[in-house]
Amino acid sequence: MSGHRIAAITSRILRQFRHDRRTLALLFVAPIVILSLLGYLIRGSASSPAVGIVNEDQGPLGAAIARSLEQSSKISAKTISASDGDAKLKDGSLVAYIVFPPDFSLLVTQQQMVAPEVHLEGSQPGTQVPVLQALQNALASLASAAPSAIKFQPTVSYLYGGRDLDQLDYFGAAFIGLILFFLVFVVTIVSFLRERSQGTLERLMASPLRRGEIVVGYMLGFTVLALVQAVEVLVFSLYVLRVHNQGNVLLIFGFETLMALSAVNLGIFLSMFARTEFQAVQFIPLVIVPQVLLSGILFPVSTESLPLQYISNVLPLTYAVNGLRDVMLKGADLTWPSLQLDAGVVAGFCVLVIVAGIATLRRRIA
Amino acid sequence: MSETYAVDVENVVKSFGTLKALDDVTLRVRRGEIYGLLGPNGAGKTTLIRSIVGLVAPESGTVTVLDHRMPDLDILGSVGYMTQAAALYPDLSVEENLRFFAAISGADSNVDEVLNLVELDQRRKSVVATLSGGLRQRCSLACALVHRPRLLLLDEPTVGVDPQLRVQFWDHFRDMAAAGTTIVVSSHVMDEAERCQRLGLIRFGKLLGEGSPDELRSAAGTNNLEEAFLKLSGRETE
Repeated sequence: MSGHRIAAITSRILRQFRHDRRTLALLFVAPIVILSLLGYLIRGSASSPAVGIVNEDQGPLGAAIARSLEQSSKISAKTISASDGDAKLKDGSLVAYIVFPPDFSLLVTQQQMVAPEVHLEGSQPGTQVPVLQALQNALASLASAAPSAIKFQPTVSYLYGGRDLDQLDYFGAAFIGLILFFLVFVVTIVSFLRERSQGTLERLMASPLRRGEIVVGYMLGFTVLALVQAVEVLVFSLYVLRVHNQGNVLLIFGFETLMALSAVNLGIFLSMFARTEFQAVQFIPLVIVPQVLLSGILFPVSTESLPLQYISNVLPLTYAVNGLRDVMLKGADLTWPSLQLDAGVVAGFCVLVIVAGIATLRRRIA
Repeated sequence: MSETYAVDVENVVKSFGTLKALDDVTLRVRRGEIYGLLGPNGAGKTTLIRSIVGLVAPESGTVTVLDHRMPDLDILGSVGYMTQAAALYPDLSVEENLRFFAAISGADSNVDEVLNLVELDQRRKSVVATLSGGLRQRCSLACALVHRPRLLLLDEPTVGVDPQLRVQFWDHFRDMAAAGTTIVVSSHVMDEAERCQRLGLIRFGKLLGEGSPDELRSAAGTNNLEEAFLKLSGRETE
């Protein structure tokens, strides 16, 4: 071991980075961006789950407990009418609603078992815990004011999926799309840059090939690969991991196709902004990681603080994830307006990056 | 008038930042001749070839190739371009590379004939990544020839090629020129320059002299082409 020779390697590496400002910037900027996003996402989450309260109690206790729930910090509760409940669960404006039956006060005073109905949306794991906790706390605070202890056993029902849905069902639905998007993006951007660095792009440019022909040819080639991968991912998820699926498998495949097309063309487009494969890989923390954090895969978009929600709502991955979850967990089909929106946004993004890819592929050095 | 010219470069100017890569270059290449671009490294040879093929957009001046004002994509189907480094797909076989480049040039493939020409017939199934530098260079030449171009642009085709193969390459070039193909070839090797019918001397982005090897020698008053080149280019820079 020679300290001198080791020092030569070490200082050479540091010198190389000094010439590669871009990598340097990435090394020091990306962690701050990613950490602040994460911090903002977790600490700054503005809204607690929205819960509706339907008070049909003919006595005074239902109203008292509703007031107590509205003051709870665990949920943001508001009174709704009984007929709106299911519709609001469906359109996603509520994660749950609680119904206090007409005989609620009567049963409490008779010291009988009371059963408030908790209707959960059911497709998002982790939302029932704060709802049930808030209900428990409210009942407990009521108990201290009531003449005697309250015996209660809430009846819980689910609009979608329900008790048998676990975290894998929730995350699996999103990851089916994400894995495809990520891998196809990386493979495309690296191959396109290789075309540049090995000089074959120069040859393509000196041939009668049109830019659009290059981009569409690339797109079809990689899409074939991506779709084979999509089938593999889908079969493995549905039949080996047994991820819950309530919808049409062809719809899932359709979403995957759109995501594959977007990923290929995003790769081609972004390859114009990198000179080497090394720089291309650096797009991953900048392009992929923020999308993963903000697209609702890990944290539901509705619980983000408002400024982050604006960002989430312009990310195509948000719509893709939402669409896949709607299909797999809720059995959505194309008659649902929300699914039409999701599919439309992903398809629109797809067209946008195709056009951007063709427009930025420059033949001539101006 | 342009009938007789395969390449007509008129007053082309191109600079990269403060560097003038092409400084008012005018040159005409006749059909069926071998025209050599001679000059030291960094003289502007590659930029000139790339502007002929339409990859460099001149700031001023015009380039006409086979009667088509560049850039013109369709005429590129009649142009073969061999870059300095062997630009091939390393994970494809020799034959797969050739078939691909034949297909994108919109020409019927005469893959077998070209493979025979560059003597790669035995290695047609070999993956390019496994080939030696010289074999890759042959494959690269084959890819530039596979669509039977009427104009062949060769950017230092014999760099890194052993002397024996270099002689073979030049034999091919002469045969092709005799068959009517126009060849523009850049080089900084003088014995290759001797084999060209006409030469253009380039330095600092300027065309300093033009003519047959004999004409250049007599213009410089020397018997040696290398001396002629140094003299002609030195005169301009003084």
